[in-house]
Amino acid sequence: MGTDHKTVEQLIIEKHTENLRRGFHLWPEMRYGKMPALGDHRWTADLILSTWVQAETGQPPTNGLEYRVGNSGGGFDTLDFQFLPPDVPELNSGTSGMSIDTSIPLNRRPYDRKIQVPVPFYGAGMSYGSISEQVMLARAKAAQKWNTFTSTGEGGYPDSLVPLKDHVIVQVATGMFGVREETIQYAPIVEFKYAQGAKPGLGGHLLGDKTTVAVARMREAVPWVSLFSPFPFHSVYSVEDHKKHVDWIKTVNPEALVCVKVSTPTDIDMVAVGSYYAGAHLLQIDGAYGGTGAAPEIAKKNIAMPIEFAIPKVHRYLLQEGIRDEITVMASGGLRTAFDLAKAIALGADGGVLGTVELVALGCTRCSNCERGRGCPFGLTTTDPELSQLVDPEWGAQRVSNLYRSLQSQLRDILRRLGLGSIHELRGRTDLLVYRGQEGRR
Amino acid sequence: MTAQREIAEKLIASRSSLVADSGARPSSRKSEAEGGCGVIGIACSEQVPARHLLESLRQMRNRGNGKGGGVAAVGLVPEELGVTKQVLETDYLIALAYLDPAARPGVERDYIEPTFLVDRVHHVSTVPDVLMSRSCPDVPELNSGTSGTSGRLEIQPPDVYLYFVRVKPNVIEEFKKRNGLDAGPGIEGEIVYQNSYRLNHAFYASIGEKRAFVLSHGKNMLVLKMVGYGDDVIRYYQLEDWHAHVWIGHHRYPTKGRVWHPGGAHPFVGLHEALVHNGDFANYASICEYLAQRNIYPQFLTDTEVSVLVFDLLHRIYGYPLEYVIESLAPTTERDFTLLPQDKQNIYQMLQTTHMHGSPDGPWFFLIAQSQLTPLTQGGPRPPLAPPSARGLRLTPSARGQRGAYRLIGITDTSMLRPQVFALQQGAASIGFAASEKQAIDAALESLALEDPRFWTRADLYWNARGGSHTDGGAFIFTIEPHGNGAALVCTDKFGKQISVNEERRPYESIHRGERRARGDPSFVSALVPELHSGTVEEIFKRVVKELPGWSYEDVNSFLSDLERSAQADVPEFNSGTSGRARAIQALTLLMDRRYSTGQLRPSSLLSLFDRSFGAIVEQIRESPSSEYVFVSSEGPRPSCRVVPELHSAAPHLASPLWGEGQGEGLHSGTSGIGQTVVIDARGFASEGEHSLALEIVRLYKRGFRRFLVAHAKGHRFIANGLGPNSHGVRIDVYGSSGDYLASGIDGAEVFVHGNAQDQLAQIMKDGRLVVYGDVGQTFMYAAKGGRAFVLGNAAGRPLINAVGRPRVVINGTCLDYLAESFMAGDPLNGGGFVILNGIAFDDDGQIIELDTPYPGGNLFSLASGGAIYIRDPYRKVSEAQLNGGEFADLGERDWALINPYLEENERLFGIPLARLLEVSGVILSPHQVYRKIRPRAIRALQAEEAWVKMHM
Repeated sequence: MGTDHKTVEQLIIEKHTENLRRGFHLWPEMRYGKMPALGDHRWTADLILSTWVQAETGQPPTNGLEYRVGNSGGGFDTLDFQFLPPDVPELNSGTSGMSIDTSIPLNRRPYDRKIQVPVPFYGAGMSYGSISEQVMLARAKAAQKWNTFTSTGEGGYPDSLVPLKDHVIVQVATGMFGVREETIQYAPIVEFKYAQGAKPGLGGHLLGDKTTVAVARMREAVPWVSLFSPFPFHSVYSVEDHKKHVDWIKTVNPEALVCVKVSTPTDIDMVAVGSYYAGAHLLQIDGAYGGTGAAPEIAKKNIAMPIEFAIPKVHRYLLQEGIRDEITVMASGGLRTAFDLAKAIALGADGGVLGTVELVALGCTRCSNCERGRGCPFGLTTTDPELSQLVDPEWGAQRVSNLYRSLQSQLRDILRRLGLGSIHELRGRTDLLVYRGQEGRR
Repeated sequence: MTAQREIAEKLIASRSSLVADSGARPSSRKSEAEGGCGVIGIACSEQVPARHLLESLRQMRNRGNGKGGGVAAVGLVPEELGVTKQVLETDYLIALAYLDPAARPGVERDYIEPTFLVDRVHHVSTVPDVLMSRSCPDVPELNSGTSGTSGRLEIQPPDVYLYFVRVKPNVIEEFKKRNGLDAGPGIEGEIVYQNSYRLNHAFYASIGEKRAFVLSHGKNMLVLKMVGYGDDVIRYYQLEDWHAHVWIGHHRYPTKGRVWHPGGAHPFVGLHEALVHNGDFANYASICEYLAQRNIYPQFLTDTEVSVLVFDLLHRIYGYPLEYVIESLAPTTERDFTLLPQDKQNIYQMLQTTHMHGSPDGPWFFLIAQSQLTPLTQGGPRPPLAPPSARGLRLTPSARGQRGAYRLIGITDTSMLRPQVFALQQGAASIGFAASEKQAIDAALESLALEDPRFWTRADLYWNARGGSHTDGGAFIFTIEPHGNGAALVCTDKFGKQISVNEERRPYESIHRGERRARGDPSFVSALVPELHSGTVEEIFKRVVKELPGWSYEDVNSFLSDLERSAQADVPEFNSGTSGRARAIQALTLLMDRRYSTGQLRPSSLLSLFDRSFGAIVEQIRESPSSEYVFVSSEGPRPSCRVVPELHSAAPHLASPLWGEGQGEGLHSGTSGIGQTVVIDARGFASEGEHSLALEIVRLYKRGFRRFLVAHAKGHRFIANGLGPNSHGVRIDVYGSSGDYLASGIDGAEVFVHGNAQDQLAQIMKDGRLVVYGDVGQTFMYAAKGGRAFVLGNAAGRPLINAVGRPRVVINGTCLDYLAESFMAGDPLNGGGFVILNGIAFDDDGQIIELDTPYPGGNLFSLASGGAIYIRDPYRKVSEAQLNGGEFADLGERDWALINPYLEENERLFGIPLARLLEVSGVILSPHQVYRKIRPRAIRALQAEEAWVKMHM
């Protein structure tokens, strides 16, 4: 057979890959019982397994796995929707819900190019170096299939992404690794990352043993040395500097839309307004529930305002200012499910940005070894030449795409059960949410 | 000191009633957020009219958003206010802003008449049309912005009345009795201050409807502000012809609130000082607590207001000399602190301990205009303070500044996080500036020079302050002192060290008046510079430099007239391939770029004359463009590129028309270019956006042009940005006041800045070359990936921060701090990047001199993991203590072989001989005795895998 031409390494990778994929398929069936060490309160074993199911089937699980909420005892896990009673006639007409519009505009200003995405989400910034090129490709291909976006994160722009550039947001972050005029000119959307919800105020940090030769080459830095992005942009210490920063990008690429990604400080409302006036089309507010294992625990758990407080604060403030319908607000940071997305939108966001959930779709078990060069057993958060081969971009793209399909159909179902005709109608409808308090914990 | 302390304590105690009476519940929450701003301050020995701020503020509108503008004036003219000199000098000038004109009777009844004897009331007139046009039709950006640039004022500006008042004697007596105070003029001031607080509380702070507030109440000082831009204030209140010794103009950029009030705009006042601010604090609440402990409560709830309250507290109430006030605001820290004299350390330590909570934390730059430099306890002008130290050390050298009548103070925060530039011009009149951008200073100078022969268009000195440092203290003070019948301007740093200009070199007057006063010979060939006719550019330059020490301004003008005439020859000569026009431009450029002895003539005046001649040649090109030079302005048609690139390089006689070969590296490009140079008059182009100069260059580049000469730049941003990848063969020469982000992201293009540059140059630069014949500002080459850069002068804070790849940089001066922090530029000996820091300057004769230290900062090459610094440090003045993660290494032969070509290129560009760099105290040393290498220290593995990986790499 063909095995004669394969190296031992290839054979090992093939075997390993096959076993992993079998596992992703079988574990949710629970034939072996739930894995006791899988997951945590936020990302429960049920959520991880049901994400695997969605990534395989494009539908939420039907075998009793809890796919809607986690068990954190706070945040989105303590919110529920106030659905219409099941006997309301509208709910039963057109049950498929296919007519329900889940699209959102990414530019709501009267000028500059119009970009509409058919689903109210796109992929979050994850850098080359933090994840492998294969994973980046898988995410970008899924974005292409769904006519939405993924983001480069701050680690350069691998050449393999160039054919997909219409679906790739270029991130300009504080270290500006891999940011060149060329890559800015590729981008339909340029995203300024001022802060990350997982580690606000800490900048970026790629530990030394993930800075492989390839990663260092992409970032033009020194291999095997920890790479820090400073916590501020050294050229932006105030709002008029930020405006200048936006003007800079608009000089390099006048066609690009501008997204400002910030974490959730207590004055997030002011940041939002400032970003708007400086010309941003999109504001991404990134809460603290996200982040991979590479973000320090102390930061993930202790800094900044919970996203469920930040979203309504921003939404209401923008409404008061009379500019809410001129900027698209994307929420992010630990959006795991269609229900999380819908809740974020009901709290006032236009849509959400997905990070970890896409990795989970590709097999992540949240084992939190992300900061190590050879730490990720699933070949996701690594650029190790062996490990990263565990993810085939086409396979990955299909998994993420299936997840998107499941999310969209669930969103439609939620809207239908709320009696709403479009995702836009859900925005800011906090009246449709119910707080479960401590009972939320299951 | 005891008397001072007692008075201070009593005054502070007297304020407790302010809060109790008004029932104010002080808030420690900011009502508004604002970031940066655009500021300019002028201090002049003469009283100058406000109209000279107009252009400068217009050019800085991109630093504000039209939601707040203000001006402050100190040292006014009595006649313009309808008062006598005596009234102006002795009365408090209460400027009241009536948002609701109907509030006036109530305000006067309750807060003016009971307390004051009113010597005069003056209504500040305004332009007739309230909704005045604030658009400047020639600048498209102003009509296209996102916010409030519709060409009309959104909010009715306040109706302003000026009350010249004295406090009634019985009120003073009553105040003294109530508070147990004896005497002193400070009491009157405190009564004014407290009265204004009560007024503001009643008519502004405590009510939903804001009806009136006090703009300013100091002596001989006036603040006006409104919702709009700073220049709107001047136009609206018709201040164009008002004169003052000190002016401050400010644009604000608030970001919260749909409705903005004039009360939120800057400047804010203490008593005799008005402060504007660019930045944002993180510890507003802490400062409010600090103030609350001293019975001071803000009423307008902005950073700026609490800043001036702290300043006023320290200066007026505590009576601190200015140096200590500055130290309390911007403490000296880290290595700089340890380098202070022990006595200063002792006092600063006490100041820091006591006032740290009142020290603003965050990016900020303050400009303060002050009148009445008289502390509480003194009746008259304050004599130099007696040394407080028993050992008699001179601890208050800034005492000199205390004697003046008015002053302008610029203070930067310890970390230098906001842009700031200072400038000084000394002639028949002396003028000092502090501003957010150099271009704003140049605009004001140009405006002054146009109508007043005592000024010319270039300042003698431009510099940046090093925040919280032991060298200059991060602050500069322009003091106007009485001098004979007039006044003199003295510039000092925080420590009282005077900054001055060599006044033996005579300035030229009436540069802009069209008087050329050229002497004699009208024939074409200059008797002064025979080389003009047939010599090379280098020969012309050499001749001028040789003759200049013996020349008068008449000679210079005569030469420049000839030069301009020679520039009319626009056809390349057969043998040299150079036209008279190209040669004239090149010769002028060399004269602007190089440092040489100017004899009895003031260098800055000469530069102004060169600028004028350069402008004249640009006009020639506008009128008669040639095959070499085409002309572009914001009006008129765009030329098409006459020759396609491929064809062009095959026509050597047309190649490089601007820059012939062999006349110094700065005058030619290694790449063969395209024949035509586009001369762009920058003035009509916007600074950013669709109609920007930057995008015009991109459009012309796409049409095939490769050579650009930008004339009359006025702070235009993003020059040479947007050319995209592989822009090799492009050359852009920039004249005038270039703006921020110049050459950012260039990937092959070459950019030459003929003069000082501004902030954020060459950010993410990839390839190509940047040459700056002057200084560069903040965050030079941030995150650069490669390319070569040569800087004749200094860099401000944070150059090369986060740079990777292979940038190779020569900085001939020094930089303020944080050079090459997180530098990651590989191994320089294997293709990586490096910075050569020469640590030199030029004396008045254009001779190279060594700086006190090649690097004054406390952070050098911090946390760097790659690249190297080659520092010219023959006396080994830079120490280990300045490094954090780096280490010194000997300069090896391979290192020298690496940097030698760059120093040779440096010599060609700037005329800085490599041999001179190796000369120390007259002796030629070997390179390794002169240069030291700083490289990253081996980095400790952070975790086991990292160590394992390193072992196996």
